[in-house]
Amino acid sequence: MNNQRYLRRRIRSAFFMGLSVVATVFGLSWLVLVLGTLLYEGLGGFDFRLFSEMTPAPGDDGGLLNAIMGSLMMNIFAVAVGTPIGIFAGTYLAEYGRHTKLAFVVRFVNDILLSAPSIVLGLFIYEIIVLPMGHFSAWAGSAVLATIVIPVVVRTTENMLLLIPNTLREAAAALGAPRAHVIKQVTWRAARAGIVTGVLLAIARISGETAPLLFTALNNQFWSLDPNAPMASLPVVIFQFAISPYRDWQQLAWSGALLITLTVLILSIIARVLEARTDQK
Amino acid sequence: MVDLALSQDLSASPIAARLHRFHAGDRNFRRIAFSCALVILAMFAGILWALIAGAWPAISAFGLPFIWTEIWNPVTQKFGGLAPIAGTLVTSFLAMLVAVPVGIGIAIFLTELCPRPLQRPIGIAVELLAGIPSIIYGIWGLFVLAPFLQQYVMPGVIAAFADIPVLSSLFAGPPYGIGVFTAALILSIMTIPFISAITRDVFETVPPVLKEATYGLGATIWEVQSKVVLPYARSGVVGGVMLALGRALGETMAVTFVIGNSHRVSSSLFAPGTTISASIANEFTEAVGDLYLPALVELGLLLFIVTFLVLATAQYMLYQLERRAGGRP
Amino acid sequence: MANNGAVKVAIKDLSFFYGDTKALKNITIPLYANKVTAFIGPSGCGKSTLLRVMNRIYELYPNQRAEGEVLLDGENILSRKLDVNMLRAKVGMVFQKPTPFPMTIYDNVAFGLQLYESLSRSEMEGRVEHALRRAALWDEVKDKLHASGTSLSGGQQQRLCIARSVAVKPELILLDEPCSALDPISTAKIEELINELSDDYTIVIVTHNMQQASRVSDHTAFMFLGELIEFGETEQIFTTPANKRTEDYITGRFG
Repeated sequence: MNNQRYLRRRIRSAFFMGLSVVATVFGLSWLVLVLGTLLYEGLGGFDFRLFSEMTPAPGDDGGLLNAIMGSLMMNIFAVAVGTPIGIFAGTYLAEYGRHTKLAFVVRFVNDILLSAPSIVLGLFIYEIIVLPMGHFSAWAGSAVLATIVIPVVVRTTENMLLLIPNTLREAAAALGAPRAHVIKQVTWRAARAGIVTGVLLAIARISGETAPLLFTALNNQFWSLDPNAPMASLPVVIFQFAISPYRDWQQLAWSGALLITLTVLILSIIARVLEARTDQK
Repeated sequence: MVDLALSQDLSASPIAARLHRFHAGDRNFRRIAFSCALVILAMFAGILWALIAGAWPAISAFGLPFIWTEIWNPVTQKFGGLAPIAGTLVTSFLAMLVAVPVGIGIAIFLTELCPRPLQRPIGIAVELLAGIPSIIYGIWGLFVLAPFLQQYVMPGVIAAFADIPVLSSLFAGPPYGIGVFTAALILSIMTIPFISAITRDVFETVPPVLKEATYGLGATIWEVQSKVVLPYARSGVVGGVMLALGRALGETMAVTFVIGNSHRVSSSLFAPGTTISASIANEFTEAVGDLYLPALVELGLLLFIVTFLVLATAQYMLYQLERRAGGRP
Repeated sequence: MANNGAVKVAIKDLSFFYGDTKALKNITIPLYANKVTAFIGPSGCGKSTLLRVMNRIYELYPNQRAEGEVLLDGENILSRKLDVNMLRAKVGMVFQKPTPFPMTIYDNVAFGLQLYESLSRSEMEGRVEHALRRAALWDEVKDKLHASGTSLSGGQQQRLCIARSVAVKPELILLDEPCSALDPISTAKIEELINELSDDYTIVIVTHNMQQASRVSDHTAFMFLGELIEFGETEQIFTTPANKRTEDYITGRFG
């Protein structure tokens, strides 16, 4: 064996593998930095007031209650509307349309929408809801969030349903169950955990979306539950406060950012736990 | 026990009613599912229509030159998209330049070098990080990265390259802290976990037996990666990278905070600039005049078209990988 | 020759197509009431295809069609006028891999009952218990009827599937290699079950295990490449097969 050559190969391998370690350290350190700063700055403002008081004028004390409430309202509405549409569409792709041309096109378009710039979705809703209504509203905000939820749920639902073995469907059909009954009582039930995971991931995704809300729901300094009016949301408030020159607003922005991050992380973790549990079965 | 004799007159018995209900139920269920699938297509068509309709005044006023005109004057209502378009392309390209090698490097580390017990936690950490909303990165960039760069990094770099021909204009002062470079850096930091996660998934489709056979021939770890894994997974990795690029192009919040919002195209990376999504985010609610809003919408339309092309290509490549993974004997 | 009794299912000149490929070629077989008939043959011979015609389960998939007649109690079940859901309610099927539904044991067994019969709570419970007894599972699950069907062992799950099919009192029970995923002890239990059930039900079993066919069935059909090669009483097929190919398969010269 040519030892010289072999040595060179091993050095080269060690070099590149070393680079991969460097890359890992480099990449992960930034992220540790970001999260560390977030924790440090955000925790400072984390107190009861955050959750009990409204967004203040600069210089006053306050919290993020109306923003939190607004986000909750719009997120819930978006999920309530987007999830059934997404599940049914995913069901069509997996149960009725498998291998058809239409399903291929729908899947393709859906995957595009999944990664499409959310600000463009905001423009879309602006044109079809805000303009005809003549004003910004929580309806518009919820609608744009729904357009983000739908592709996520479609994708995960279809994937989960495709994992269910055909013999399960056959076994139900073999008892004389009509198609819809098979899907509802057996197939959906079998894929239940996966579908829920998809919904959780969709919620995590919309919890942090800012751009599309900027010109659909706009913002609202006050407490408002009126869906016809502009509504405050956590991400938009954070945006507004962070770019302001006021120190206390900036503090609230950090705390709000921390709150969002915690929400997203918790949802993602729950989703993963659910996923792991079903894998075990 | 109910008589289920096959030859009974179906129009009479209670069973008939039940069977009829079953069939009606099947039909309705299918219709609902089908309609919801159509909703997806309607959304896409709706987006396209809404963008074109909203942008039309600007399209007819400015025509094709919109793409390469730099002017952005709300007073005279003359708009050109060069600055946002250039900014979008430059920030995304630079971000990819950093994020792709680092992201793939992390994926290689995770699949080959990482000690067993650490693999799952780090892998999970990377995936969770990929889900952190971009506004977090944006704020961090504004309050931490930009001041840091302004104070410690930029002055040094500007001075160092001051006399070198090309680099001196590329890295010219003054050190604002915010600008195209900072935005690209934030964007790359954001994109790294995404690329790692996707690349790792792609690597896992490589049949272990392929790698084992190569090791069995005495190959080094790097040789297995570069000569077997990466070529095999090539279309998947490229697809993943294009997916990341598609997202980076449309990224708004990470970039808006630190790009500086200037509609000037500058040769210096340290200068402020703008991207399409940053312009829309910053200016939409204050756009007055007949052509201002349409100009912004036209930018949105261009962004949608470009990301569509990038994402479609990405999908095609990922589809290739799936077919290979599924169809391999 | 023993009196075989009434013919429950008369398969007449049945052909089956996957797309343009003819997978079953003009099969004619009688299936006798309250007897066990086995379909045997090498992989790809069409035995499962033939089984799946009898509850038209193939109709779940595009590009599959059957031609000819299959008469269940004189009625052609391939007729377009027949409601296929109702047919399947009358023909039970158990699959190779146990397929418990993701619900409680009780709900699994009650699944078919709830579709077609209006039973009171106590009647339902009675039927569920009866079915579980017939499937020799009652003693093992009677205290945990509300446990998930998937929490049972493989052999128990398969017996649960049998209970599920038996609960609706079908005319015909189809078994598609029901023991191939099970251990020998579970297999023995199920073979015993098949013996008992044949007192009340007409059973067809597809198996690639010849010894099982000879243990369990009254009649056997040997198939090869989509054709029926030989059909007769099990004892006769296995001791004095009339066709050379049957003999070759039985003695293991190919398979």
